[in-house]
Amino acid sequence: MPNDSLIIKGGIVYDPLNGVKGSIKDIYVKDGKIVEDLSEEAAEVIDVTGMIVAPANVDIHSHIAGPKVNSARLMRPEDHLRDPLRRKNGLRSGCGFSVPTTFVTAYRYLLLGYGTVMDPAVPPLKARHALEELEDTPVLDKGIYILMGNNNILYYLLKKGDKKSAKLFAAWLLKSAGGYAIKVVNPGGTESFKWGKIFNSLSDDTIWGIKPKVVVDILNEVACEFKLPHPVHLHTYNIGIPGSYKAALDTINAFKDNRLHLAHLQYFCYGGDSWATFRSESVKVVEALSNYENITADMGQVIFVDTTTMTADTPWEFTLHKLAGGRWSNSDVELETGSGIVPYRYRMDNLVNSVQWAVGLEIALLLGPWRVFLTTDHPNGGPFYFYPEVIKWLTSADARKEMIEKIHPKAKKRIYLHNIDREFSLYEMITMLSAAPAKALGLKEKGHLGAGADADIAIYKPKGSVAETLSRVEYLIKDGRVVVRHGEIVDASYIGRIIRVDTGVDDSALSNEVRELFDKFYSVTFSNYKVEDVYFKREVVKRVV
Amino acid sequence: MREFCLITGRTIKQGITLHDGKTTEVYRNEVGIVYLNGEDMEELGIIEGSSVLLKTDYGQVVVRAVKGDLPKGMAFMPYGPWANMLTSANTHGTGMPDLKGIKLYIYPACEEVWDWKRVLEEVKSVEG
Amino acid sequence: MKVENVVCPFCGCLCDDVIVYVEDGAIKGVEKACSIGRSLFLKHREDLSLPSIDGRETSIDEAINEAVNILRDKKHVLIYGLSSTSIEAQRKALELADLIGASIDQTTSICHGPTSLAIHQTGIPTCTLGEVKNRADVVVFWGSNPLEAHQRHYERYSLIPKGMFVTEGRRGRKLVVVDVRPTPSSRAADIFIQVRPGEDYEVLNALRYMLKGGKLDGEVGGVKVETLKSLLDIMLSAKYGVIFIGMGLTMTRGKYHNVEAALSLAIELNSHTRWSVVAMRGHYNVSGAGMVLLWQTGFPMAVNFSLGYPRYSPGEYSAVDLLRRKEVDAVLVIASDPVANFPREAVRNLLSLPIIAIDPKRSLTTMVAKVVIPTAKVGIETEGTAYRMDGVPIRVKKILNSIYPSDEEVLDRIIAKIKGEERNA
Repeated sequence: MPNDSLIIKGGIVYDPLNGVKGSIKDIYVKDGKIVEDLSEEAAEVIDVTGMIVAPANVDIHSHIAGPKVNSARLMRPEDHLRDPLRRKNGLRSGCGFSVPTTFVTAYRYLLLGYGTVMDPAVPPLKARHALEELEDTPVLDKGIYILMGNNNILYYLLKKGDKKSAKLFAAWLLKSAGGYAIKVVNPGGTESFKWGKIFNSLSDDTIWGIKPKVVVDILNEVACEFKLPHPVHLHTYNIGIPGSYKAALDTINAFKDNRLHLAHLQYFCYGGDSWATFRSESVKVVEALSNYENITADMGQVIFVDTTTMTADTPWEFTLHKLAGGRWSNSDVELETGSGIVPYRYRMDNLVNSVQWAVGLEIALLLGPWRVFLTTDHPNGGPFYFYPEVIKWLTSADARKEMIEKIHPKAKKRIYLHNIDREFSLYEMITMLSAAPAKALGLKEKGHLGAGADADIAIYKPKGSVAETLSRVEYLIKDGRVVVRHGEIVDASYIGRIIRVDTGVDDSALSNEVRELFDKFYSVTFSNYKVEDVYFKREVVKRVV
Repeated sequence: MREFCLITGRTIKQGITLHDGKTTEVYRNEVGIVYLNGEDMEELGIIEGSSVLLKTDYGQVVVRAVKGDLPKGMAFMPYGPWANMLTSANTHGTGMPDLKGIKLYIYPACEEVWDWKRVLEEVKSVEG
Repeated sequence: MKVENVVCPFCGCLCDDVIVYVEDGAIKGVEKACSIGRSLFLKHREDLSLPSIDGRETSIDEAINEAVNILRDKKHVLIYGLSSTSIEAQRKALELADLIGASIDQTTSICHGPTSLAIHQTGIPTCTLGEVKNRADVVVFWGSNPLEAHQRHYERYSLIPKGMFVTEGRRGRKLVVVDVRPTPSSRAADIFIQVRPGEDYEVLNALRYMLKGGKLDGEVGGVKVETLKSLLDIMLSAKYGVIFIGMGLTMTRGKYHNVEAALSLAIELNSHTRWSVVAMRGHYNVSGAGMVLLWQTGFPMAVNFSLGYPRYSPGEYSAVDLLRRKEVDAVLVIASDPVANFPREAVRNLLSLPIIAIDPKRSLTTMVAKVVIPTAKVGIETEGTAYRMDGVPIRVKKILNSIYPSDEEVLDRIIAKIKGEERNA
């Protein structure tokens, strides 16, 4: 390993979790960790005088790998043709735009100062696929969330009222698939679409005769009892449609006593009762959330760009296919979940899209950087490497005003954004990108620069504005290795870690009944279902029991 | 001259003998073969198991003729070097050559079914 | 020794319940596999390839050195095959192609390549095979003969098994087979529809037309319109239907247009009830080869790296076209036999080029190759990931030792030598 000791000298340090707000100090790195002190003789000294030193960024929700991302790549050759990347300096070639190749995904994240990215929607049956792609997404630390909200075995056990078996099964599933967190997508909705039905509710009976709320409750209990570092990561019902804010309010009310993360909240903050009356209701959702510090969210910001939507919310993708026309892919995964894919272009001259753009910024600005994290629900709202655009809007009221002049003229009456003056500071932006998502993920070694933290450090050259400053790192230190130097990637040859949770629930904890359900209804044998250790070449296992 | 429609595809025996080896006699027996409709065979005067010379616009090959459950006018061959003497390399810009539905002419032959070496000789013999 | 739940590395079914008996370092018995799978396991040591250069037997190291010399010297190398090796090896093949600016294509281009082209146009509603078992009450095999090409498909996934919601198994399902000829698979069908060769496109679009309320008389593609009407009724009455598409659509006249028609029909049926399409993939990891190509380059096949970034052009960078137009000056074949599988004109040009063949078994390609590098058989002598026809990734096992390195190791050593970093065996 080159240079196992580093001194990052003379930078202006921002470390929100440790209350450091722009102090000039040196950061010491040894064996991949941040340490209290180090002698200068043994270390490489990097002089960063005048530069901004911050924890590397953490993306809490970005669809970068796995079966549906790859299906989207297959569906959209024209998307790749517009954004090819040459092989250079030992880096692999590839293509970018809305569904970038794995290497390009890593390179672009690294240049934005990211050290950790979480893929939020993996069917356990296809977890190996996501993990293999992540192995080809070098340097970054990665984790996957395991889709459970439509799992037939879980529903079967809950219908029987066997809560104990249901909880053990969920904990076993998380461990067996190598997951970091539990993901729930439109509980009951994906299952219903397999029957040709569109279902959106927490409190109505699903096709299985149990209510989605019961499913989420039990998964919340699993997260709590097994002390999972990240709570249930919930994509609730009625995404993207007029009146979706009611689903957000219903969801907040249903789970207000739990720790919870609401995924891409922007899509659940719409009012109106038709596309014609579509408007922002972000204020109502923000009000409902303001009392519950235990609930976090990410933006799911929309960018005006041609992108690819993809989600396990299969009824929504089918609806979008009917609305938008054009190509549609869907994949139903036995006993577990499904996914849908539709290419989509957000247009400034479209009233609905204009409102969507404003809503994402409204919730972030109103709730603040500790509660709402920067995402575009990549690539659903737009590709992640448009984050600097979003940062510009979050840090400059003028930049927002300029945009509001450009969007659909009727939008202004349907949004609140023009009434919001708040501008995030550099400190707040760094909080939103690193400290806050790391905290929400329960990643104690990430998101800060205190002794014992992973030496994942982003170093920026100050430029004209916060957004310009944060648009590309001058240096990126990952695990103590200098990965980006003078704004160019110099070392991307190692694979990064898989961060996963060990719930301690082994096969022996599963009831015979669950084993029988496996044998009868899966198309692979039980012994070939669980992800083998070989898929975690470098890993961090969070033992939570 | 009567025109036939050549369809290529998998057979179980092709799959099994593949693992004996592609240069083996058993493989030749199962893959160097054409299945024909029984009435067509009678019309052409072809005896079950005898050699036939097959010709298309793209090449020729000698294989064994066997009766199969096929519509009149259709010939079926297992995927393999023999069938590929007759297929077209033109992909019409798709990458996929014409591997099914090829115009075929059938002649009785006294030559033995070609072995893989004879097949490769024939491949090389044609000017390109 | 009895080894259970072995994964069969032959076809896209990737059956993972096979039992293999091993004694004295050799396979002595096989249970549960189909006849082709049994043959694969029991004969895996027959007709093996040997390391050679220009037909002379040599060492693996010498063979690798010679391969490196060829790959270094030549201007435009074609890397071809990949469908019968592991993901691990496929990833290395892509890395090599990127490194030397090669063209890379996989066997899908002469298999379900047209299916990919159709998906570019329409997308695809699809499902895993367990979903077929659990939900499908109508299954249609179009241009596909599973009883010969995927022998356990009916038994394990699509026809016989009792599923969660299709509790009666065979009796709970309607089987429709559409083909140009009767086959063992069509004889098992409730309804067999015989289409005139080359007219699947017309038949599929007739169904689409009638679905939209259009009226037809007489016959289409040799099929009576009444028959098609009753097929459409069956399709509409399904709770969950699945169309399995085979080479009968991809290899005939129309190619991707045929598949596009099938996908469009399935997509349109989803406005009435649920329908999915699953491609009957041939080789056990042809699906995986497409996956790796997609995640590393964005494209499923026919990729050229000569400008330093991936360019995609089926019909241009696909293997048969590159050979037909004599555009490459060397060919690296990994786990495939293009000399046996390509049309004559492409083979003729292939024979005039230096071929490097990496393959555990003798094949027509190894017989004529300049360099032959034998390797351990994936799924018997070395492990790795393979993707089933429905995209489910499964770990194939190592049950025996081999004296030879794996495809992955060979490619890794070639890459290291080309980069100038010697790696020890």
